[in-house]
Amino acid sequence: MLDGPDGGGYRSRMRPARPPSEIAVVDLQVCDRCGLCLPLCPPEAIHLDLADLVVDGTTCTGCRKCVAPCPVGALSMVAA
Amino acid sequence: MRDTDVLVIGGGPGGAVAAWEAKRAAPELDVVLVERDARVGVPVRCAEGVGDAGLREFADPDGAPWVARKIRRIIFIAPDDTEVTVAERDVAWILDRTRFDAFLAAQASAAGAEVVVGTEAAGMSRGTDGRWNVRVRHAGGDGSYRARVVVGADGVETMVGRWAGLDTRVPARDMESCAQYVVSGIDFDPDAIYLQFSDRLAPGGYAWVFPKGVGVANVGLGLVALKADGRNARQYLDAWLARRYPRGTKTGYTVGGVIVHTTIKQTYTDGVLVVGDAAHMINPLSGGGIVNAMKAGRLAGRTAAAAICAGDTSARRLSVYHSAWMELLGDDHLTYYRIKHALEDLDDGFFNSLARTVNAIPRAKRTLGRIFAHALVRHPQMIPVAARFFI
Repeated sequence: MLDGPDGGGYRSRMRPARPPSEIAVVDLQVCDRCGLCLPLCPPEAIHLDLADLVVDGTTCTGCRKCVAPCPVGALSMVAA
Repeated sequence: MRDTDVLVIGGGPGGAVAAWEAKRAAPELDVVLVERDARVGVPVRCAEGVGDAGLREFADPDGAPWVARKIRRIIFIAPDDTEVTVAERDVAWILDRTRFDAFLAAQASAAGAEVVVGTEAAGMSRGTDGRWNVRVRHAGGDGSYRARVVVGADGVETMVGRWAGLDTRVPARDMESCAQYVVSGIDFDPDAIYLQFSDRLAPGGYAWVFPKGVGVANVGLGLVALKADGRNARQYLDAWLARRYPRGTKTGYTVGGVIVHTTIKQTYTDGVLVVGDAAHMINPLSGGGIVNAMKAGRLAGRTAAAAICAGDTSARRLSVYHSAWMELLGDDHLTYYRIKHALEDLDDGFFNSLARTVNAIPRAKRTLGRIFAHALVRHPQMIPVAARFFI
């Protein structure tokens, strides 16, 4: 059930062989700390640290899956 | 290091009921419930609606201080604003979640569980003795618990599931992005909840008005971002509110994610049980999760207590929790999930037309079964939906 339209890559927590050209960043001025993006992240690169959202730039694969679902638009992509 | 038998992480309805039921099942056990926020029930990330029958399994809502409103009707709003009133009985309640969660935590405390607020779980690892060492942080610094069973009731972001090695990730198509205002000074039927379905207004989800009182309501919507036009949930909500209640006063605001998926494949492992939103135990059609979380919490609390008393907290032993949940509601959610995806193929024109068909049925005879039957006859597009219900 988990592998839906996202394809086989969804289950993989592995970082691709080539480093991503861009990674996700969070604007903590905008973020509401709702945690919605955590389960959306295939490599589980996002966590909450004392309620503040943290994106781990070394495990983010640049897949963008967290960006559009953010209810307030707090996540965006920057050059890696 | 503090030893406990059961450590529940997360003080929402699922966690509170898990702590309460574990203590009730085995009063001799130590049960600790830790909550990240300074107060149980704050902030509220919820539309606060709950079905009558499910709620009554756990608490009596009549006259309770944690109830905001009794709901007697559901009014569906078609994309073209045609209103369809469906049920006419005591169907649901709108809670005051801040008070309700505090009430449940107090029940857990009265049963003998220790409730600790302002304490965030920061990580956990399994010791050689088979018990889990859970690191926690609070204003006073760091601490840790050693627990025989950890119950992860930590919501949509569930770190407990992740730390325990369970797969709690969700595909983007099964995540509803939600935004909600508390709006006052607006005109609506305070005994009804309103649900509007429209690809234009809330693609892949719905917009809602849940009364908190006369003239005051939770007004929000959920959408699937993959189907959206580039705007985020808050922008869609602002547009809907401007259209529907341009003169309302916003007195509160919240956002959050609702996982409209099915229960995670495995909700347990050695010494760990995951409940509620953390285990994706949400009705994927309605997005409702409060009663689901409480029912899972009850199963988890009892399972944990029995396992500890038997001296066996292995995954094998704890797996009875998963099978009991699937039998209780998890398998139904699989069916609802299939219906949800069938409904996604239907467009706004269909729902406008369905609303007119249903309004032709006399209101007293307007039961969900009859609506479904009429829909099948008059709207052949519904046949695939019906088929998926039975397959």
